[in-house]
Amino acid sequence: MANIPDILPKVVLFQDLEADSMANLAPLLIAKKFAAGSLIFREMDDSDALYIVERGTVVVSKHVSGDVEMVLTRFEVGDFFGEMGLFDNAPRSASASAETDTVLWRLDRSVFHDIFSYHPEMAAKICYRLVTIFIERLRVTNEQSRDAIRWALEATGYISGAQSLFGRKST
Amino acid sequence: MDQPAKLQLLTRQSGEAGFEIHHIDSDQAYLGYRPRRVERETWEITAQPQSPDGRRNFILKNLRQDRYLLIDEREAFLWERFDGGHCVEEIAGACQERFGDFTAAQIRPVLAKLSEAGLLVERENLALQQSLARNQENLWVIGINSAAKYWRRLAFTLPNADRLCGAIYRCGGFVLFHPVTLVMTLAIAVLAGVAALHLSPRAKQFTQMLSATPWRSTAIILTSLLAVSMMHVTVHALACKAYGRRVRELGFFLLQGVLPTFYADVTDIFMSTRKARVVVDLAGPLVELFWGSVAFLAAYQTGPGLAQAFLFGIGVVLWEGALINLYPFNFLEMDGYNIVADLLAMPTLRQQALALAPELHRRLLHPRSLTKSEWIQIGYLLLCAVSVLIYLIAHLDFLLGLLPSWK
Repeated sequence: MANIPDILPKVVLFQDLEADSMANLAPLLIAKKFAAGSLIFREMDDSDALYIVERGTVVVSKHVSGDVEMVLTRFEVGDFFGEMGLFDNAPRSASASAETDTVLWRLDRSVFHDIFSYHPEMAAKICYRLVTIFIERLRVTNEQSRDAIRWALEATGYISGAQSLFGRKST
Repeated sequence: MDQPAKLQLLTRQSGEAGFEIHHIDSDQAYLGYRPRRVERETWEITAQPQSPDGRRNFILKNLRQDRYLLIDEREAFLWERFDGGHCVEEIAGACQERFGDFTAAQIRPVLAKLSEAGLLVERENLALQQSLARNQENLWVIGINSAAKYWRRLAFTLPNADRLCGAIYRCGGFVLFHPVTLVMTLAIAVLAGVAALHLSPRAKQFTQMLSATPWRSTAIILTSLLAVSMMHVTVHALACKAYGRRVRELGFFLLQGVLPTFYADVTDIFMSTRKARVVVDLAGPLVELFWGSVAFLAAYQTGPGLAQAFLFGIGVVLWEGALINLYPFNFLEMDGYNIVADLLAMPTLRQQALALAPELHRRLLHPRSLTKSEWIQIGYLLLCAVSVLIYLIAHLDFLLGLLPSWK
């Protein structure tokens, strides 16, 4: 547990917490190690925890067709992912894999609910930060949708052009 | 230009740990794209007569959406290969082999053109294109576009024009296209010419009589003009039916965005022969010639008075209308222009000429680089410019009259 205090202050999600809250939170997190290339969770798996990246890079992808997935984003040191699993029971919306050897800290949904019950002020600060990050990620998603559409248009030869239809109106 | 968009894909081997990430540029994917045209029964292609350059154009028609494209030989070659089986890279290679210098990027505008005409499968991005374009506009552009939109709303089209014209054609309209009708029209025109010459010494007197009741004269002559103008476009449409082709629209619009005019959309006649197009073009002005002749003959038969003055005035206006319609060099796409464009096998002569105009001074420095078609376009521009100039000089007195302070 000695490393936890080093990484926690770097996590945006916890940046509003005071030192004593951090100390309360630290023992609730569980360390997990993943070798490069291994799967952290798969799309449609049960969703029950949030992960914080202490070391390495995590790639998040969504199934497209056959064995092909589309890379949605990457998370690096200090980032967190899987936060949707804290709030709803829906299955994972994407897969997460370790791109390099990775160390993560896991916050279970049940533990998060306990924080709500026993440390409501701390929970409120985490939730406030979560909302702002949700908004930021939503904006990024919009940009990604635009980029994906642009890619598809360019890949299928799209260019915006002038009217080229032919016609004759006899007057 | 923007860098090509990138997409990252991840693949996993089943039963094996690990994954691979692939970075794919849109440019790279484009080369592998296999354009596919719509099903065979939904399009029709017709070769057009050779242009003076020896080039051949084609009209490609989307039968389902009733849209038409004018494509050149190279585009027709590409169209043949857009079968979903050949990728852009292969198609570009084949095109280079056939026509020489050619790159895959040159296929993009062709794809855009075909897509716009609804001739490619899975290319429903027009709404998106318009939406993206809208978002890039500033307030001025939006304002101008809105004003233009309201101005264009002055136009209207008749519903079921093709069915209506088909019915008129079957119920006697076909008689108009019998050779005897043409001969009779020309004979009446000759007689009317004689009558007009006979009445012409009294033209000044007629003008004075009409000027005495300016509002009534203007109303009667304008109403006659309007009625004949409607008949004119209807006969264009009936001529189109005479060749078994579809009348897309019949209605009223602003010619070149300015001049209120009735029209018949006879684009489908391009799927027929050059002779058919010329007949469709000529049929309209013959209506003015016929009714103008009838007016002259009636004036000749009527005793001196206001009625005779009106009939003579209507005859003059209608014959003048026929002449203006048949005169090809006025920068407008009227019947005379269409005949010239059809005879030259240059259906977009005016647009090509106007596109050439801004770079004319530079191109004329190297006259040898100009093609035969471009010389024709220059000729068209010159004749139009001279015609407009002569028209203005001929009406100089009238124009100066509008500016009394200059006198």
